[in-house]
Amino acid sequence: MSAKKKQAAEVAEPVIVRQADFPVGIDVYPLDEERRGWADWYDRDVEPEFAALAEARVWLVRIFVSWKYFEPQVGQYDEEAAGRLDAIMDAARSHDLKVLVSLFADDRLAEMTDVPWGKRRDPRTDDYLIQREVSLAQRIVNRYRAEPVVWGWELANEAFCTGFTSEADLERWTATLRDAVREVDSEHPILLGVDPETLFRTTGVDPRAAIDLNEYAISHVTAPYRVYAAEGPVTSGPATYLDGFLLRAAARDLPVIVDGVGVQSLDFSLSEEAAAVRTSLYSALMNGASGVMVRRYRDLETEKREPYFRDPFEVLVGVADIEGEPKPSLGEIKRFARVVARIDRRRYQSAPECVGVLIPAERYESLPSLAGLYGPRACLQSYIGAKEAHLPVDVLREGDELGAYHALFVPSAMKLGATTWHEIASFVQGGGSIVVSYGGGDTDPAVREIFGVEFLGDHGVRRTVSCRVAQPGALGDLRSFDARLKLPHFALLGHGGATVVATDATGSPLLTVNQYGQGKAVFIATPIERALAQGDPWAAPLVVRDLLRTVYGSVARAAGAGPIVDCDTPEVEVAVFMGEEDDIVVVLNHAPEAVTATLSVERMVAGVADARGGQLTEVGGKVFGVPLSANGASALRLTYT
Amino acid sequence: MGIEDAHRLYEAFVEQDPAEAIRVVEDVRASGVAQAQLFDTLYVPAMALLGGAWASGEIDEIVFTQASVIAEQIGSFVVPPAARQDTGVTLVIGTMQRDHHTVGKDIIAAALKESGYRVNDLGLDVRPAEFLERIEQTGARIVIVCAEMLSVAHSVVRVREMLTTGGHEDIVVLVAGSPFDADPALARSVGANGVLHGAESALRVVGKAATDLSGGEAS
Amino acid sequence: MTKRSSQVLMAEGLARTEQVTAAVEACYDALAVDDSEPVAHCLLAHLLLEGDFYDEAIAEATKAIELDPDCSPAYLALGLAYDRRGGMWDQSVLVWHELAEVVPDLVTAHVQLGEAFGAAQFEEEAIDSWKCALELDPKEPRAIYNLAIAALKREGMATALPGFRKAGELDPSQDDLFFALLGIKSVSDRPVDPAKVREDRSSRLGAAALAARADDLFVTAELVRMVLDEDPDDADALALAAFAYLKQEATNEAMACALRAIALKPDLATALYTLGVVYSRRAGLSKHAARVFIVFTRAASQHALAHVLLAESLLGLQRYGQAKKAYRVAIRLDPACVRARFGLAAVHLTEGLHAEADWEVRRAAYYDTRRQGSFWRLYDHYSEGGAS
Repeated sequence: MSAKKKQAAEVAEPVIVRQADFPVGIDVYPLDEERRGWADWYDRDVEPEFAALAEARVWLVRIFVSWKYFEPQVGQYDEEAAGRLDAIMDAARSHDLKVLVSLFADDRLAEMTDVPWGKRRDPRTDDYLIQREVSLAQRIVNRYRAEPVVWGWELANEAFCTGFTSEADLERWTATLRDAVREVDSEHPILLGVDPETLFRTTGVDPRAAIDLNEYAISHVTAPYRVYAAEGPVTSGPATYLDGFLLRAAARDLPVIVDGVGVQSLDFSLSEEAAAVRTSLYSALMNGASGVMVRRYRDLETEKREPYFRDPFEVLVGVADIEGEPKPSLGEIKRFARVVARIDRRRYQSAPECVGVLIPAERYESLPSLAGLYGPRACLQSYIGAKEAHLPVDVLREGDELGAYHALFVPSAMKLGATTWHEIASFVQGGGSIVVSYGGGDTDPAVREIFGVEFLGDHGVRRTVSCRVAQPGALGDLRSFDARLKLPHFALLGHGGATVVATDATGSPLLTVNQYGQGKAVFIATPIERALAQGDPWAAPLVVRDLLRTVYGSVARAAGAGPIVDCDTPEVEVAVFMGEEDDIVVVLNHAPEAVTATLSVERMVAGVADARGGQLTEVGGKVFGVPLSANGASALRLTYT
Repeated sequence: MGIEDAHRLYEAFVEQDPAEAIRVVEDVRASGVAQAQLFDTLYVPAMALLGGAWASGEIDEIVFTQASVIAEQIGSFVVPPAARQDTGVTLVIGTMQRDHHTVGKDIIAAALKESGYRVNDLGLDVRPAEFLERIEQTGARIVIVCAEMLSVAHSVVRVREMLTTGGHEDIVVLVAGSPFDADPALARSVGANGVLHGAESALRVVGKAATDLSGGEAS
Repeated sequence: MTKRSSQVLMAEGLARTEQVTAAVEACYDALAVDDSEPVAHCLLAHLLLEGDFYDEAIAEATKAIELDPDCSPAYLALGLAYDRRGGMWDQSVLVWHELAEVVPDLVTAHVQLGEAFGAAQFEEEAIDSWKCALELDPKEPRAIYNLAIAALKREGMATALPGFRKAGELDPSQDDLFFALLGIKSVSDRPVDPAKVREDRSSRLGAAALAARADDLFVTAELVRMVLDEDPDDADALALAAFAYLKQEATNEAMACALRAIALKPDLATALYTLGVVYSRRAGLSKHAARVFIVFTRAASQHALAHVLLAESLLGLQRYGQAKKAYRVAIRLDPACVRARFGLAAVHLTEGLHAEADWEVRRAAYYDTRRQGSFWRLYDHYSEGGAS
């Protein structure tokens, strides 16, 4: 046997077809044609669809119960509906798929929660209707609770939950339905299909308390949220980081499933669709998700209504076309499932995140405060900056525990609470490092103490960004530049003990660093992250992005929070799954152009192989190149000498 | 050709003698300078001399203007050939049956026409038999089939089958459209010899196919 | 005159000076006093639109229109919010149609209507709208570019290029580029008097450039001649002369002077610019133009338009990949460069990337409509009680 073949044999492992620890799922909707009516609920043989999904190594399907179809009259349940649900379960069972049942969902087409006898009462708040919902939920759960084919229960999806107008109502409804399900099924996980950030953005209702009642959390990019946070091309820029950002923001104590993977409109080419699906799937894997759900199996066949053909619904685009022909995005799912199957969570653990982007509490303020609108966008830019610096970054909210982090970034906040400033002071004194950018208005007295700068008013030059490096090397390899980017604010800073690392063209401090206790406190005199977000994130001056990335990278690395695997290409995201004898490194190209990323590690790498089980390529060094196609991803197994 | 010719041309400009200017161009051309090179090798230095003469006061404003008029008159003699030469290569292009997308096909067809290919555009919703028919009529050896819909893209295999049935196995079938951009294996599965990813790619791939075909004939 | 509360007047003042946060608060103060005041909702819609908060802007503009269906600035804000948001073309068509009826001389309404029609796949209606815009303003660049893109979709790049060239020739910012190379930013208020210019080379050339900026090309010629009389090999003077000739459409004289300047100083940006422009206006010289502009972009690498000029010459050579790179550099340097956005849209179309092309066109509209400031014109007219 040749040496190469021998190595190949060594890396060959039993092929795991699907990974139950990380479900790869997809939504199968009741109606695939807009001309159909509510009574056509799953009035088709789903068997071929499930066969195609199983072949693509999908493990989980979500189906949606129609209350309207199940309970056409009060207390009278339709046998035909039960029969169709049975048929779905049978089809899933025969293809070894698991089923996530969404009990109260709105797909804006099948009128699933629009019971005719409801008399326009709100099914979210009306006691009588909630009682009827409890009955239906218990009836369905009871029927299938012992079925191994069932994976879990989703109480409601986000479209249904956008009807809630208060936290209390949402929490009450969730608790009632959850208790009802638990009464008859104590085992299967329960979840509420809402993202804490997107639902809040749409409704002003903070669903976190309601989500926390369950076993899983959800994160997803809705069409309106994408418009708000990252409107632009889907295969480059902030759009490619949005899944990861929302996932990090949704991850608190519960495992998170990244939901709604896929593009939202039919405008994109098949290759753009495939690239977007690939980016979302790998972002989920790389940022600590516990599973993924793709937004739709089959494209919705829309009515060719005159005069307009476009449809405002967001769940239009699937991974198969209207004739059921698999699209390239289904191939992406299959390849991804193979990668996931190779990353056994008991054997490999994600590298810990010790850098945090802090979302200020002002994000929850409503108009007329603009902080709630500016905040998430600035935080997304901060997250991207940290990712481009290849830092192991997490997203936390003001009030969360800071102890787990070594470096914190507070992007363009207008204000922070007094307690937060106190915690930040302790954090830095204890050896943590922080980067705060000025967000406008008066600064807190703590800024003087922690950052060693005196605030002299918001009167700096705002039309352009200029950087003149005063202390080369103090915060990484900074370069002087002038760039066209409108700044919303620019604080004039007086000396209060901090070292001025860079100034603007007029000599006004732009970047300062202050040793405070055992840690470093860096102050940026302008809301740089907000300026990037409110400018044109797809055309932001590279020098400004470089500045942010360099400062973040330098601060985090100095605080011992640098990456385990470093990379020379900002647009390439890297995640490490650490094993006992080997590691798996997953890389994702966020740019729509092919690149070869050079990765570097501390240990001597013996060889690199495709994590799905390819041949081992000898490295014998600490640096190696990884070619990536446009928006390409790769999972590599690293062995060390 | 040397600086003397540029001087002669410059003198002709200043003397306002278009006939002499044309003679200079023709002499230079006869000496073996290609049309595409005349502008750089003759006209540009002559114009620089003109500018220099005006700057130094050797010629006044009026002479400068009049000389420029002569320069304009003979401009057409020295400008490189506007259109690319006819390549002599005939192509057939069309959007596959049941597909009504035009933009991609039209842009590719126009780019190829501009580059001197003899393009037979069959339009939209083209049946495989129509491709075959036009290939037989024109003697084309390259066919470009466009498809923007996935199901239609799969059916492009019928064009290859039709060509094989008609005894034209050697025809080069090139495909274009987003399904082929997204899945490189798809083109192979429908029997295509290559994929065109837009206009510039079309020029490159068709150019190579044409060269390969002519090389094949030569051997 | 429409009665406006003191809070609204306060909000207006703050909004005009771009104090967005305070202006939004003032609008809310105004609405707390009287939430049926359409101008307050309208102003708020404008402010939210400026912050790119489209859903919020749509809600406020809709309220303003509900309160007063003749509130033309609210229609403008609503239409722009729909367009910048994307995916709401049917609503957008209705709004622009309405506004084009109410304010028929508002060129933007016709351009936007065309783009909304185009996005909704109504090409014929779109073309009619852009033609209508050009009847109102024959120099409207976005209408010309949109028609060029429409031509590209139907007949390929060769048909589209003349449209791009025409729009480029009408582009006043090209002159800005030339003067930026000379370090001149704006037109001087005072005319240049050659008799008062100090008799040294530098002063004469500086004054000649200022005179050219003010379109006083006779003075430019006179001063340049003085410099050349002292040194006929002064490349900077020759380059300025070339530009002055170009401005008078004397392209051969311009070429002669520019070529002489380049012979003396091969990387002189001002001469390269003029020569490149002359070449790009002549059929058959695309390759020459590209060659000149490649050198020019090295000499003027920080100027977005330099890269656009290079890209446009590459389009003529069917070098779409290289053109794309040059356009991307231009957009990085100046995201508001409408000309680069449309050029890039054209390149994307040649690659079959329709969504990317649409995005660039929308982005061009975004920057162009922000630059125009039509909102305040309509707002002032409306709030002064003029027929809307």
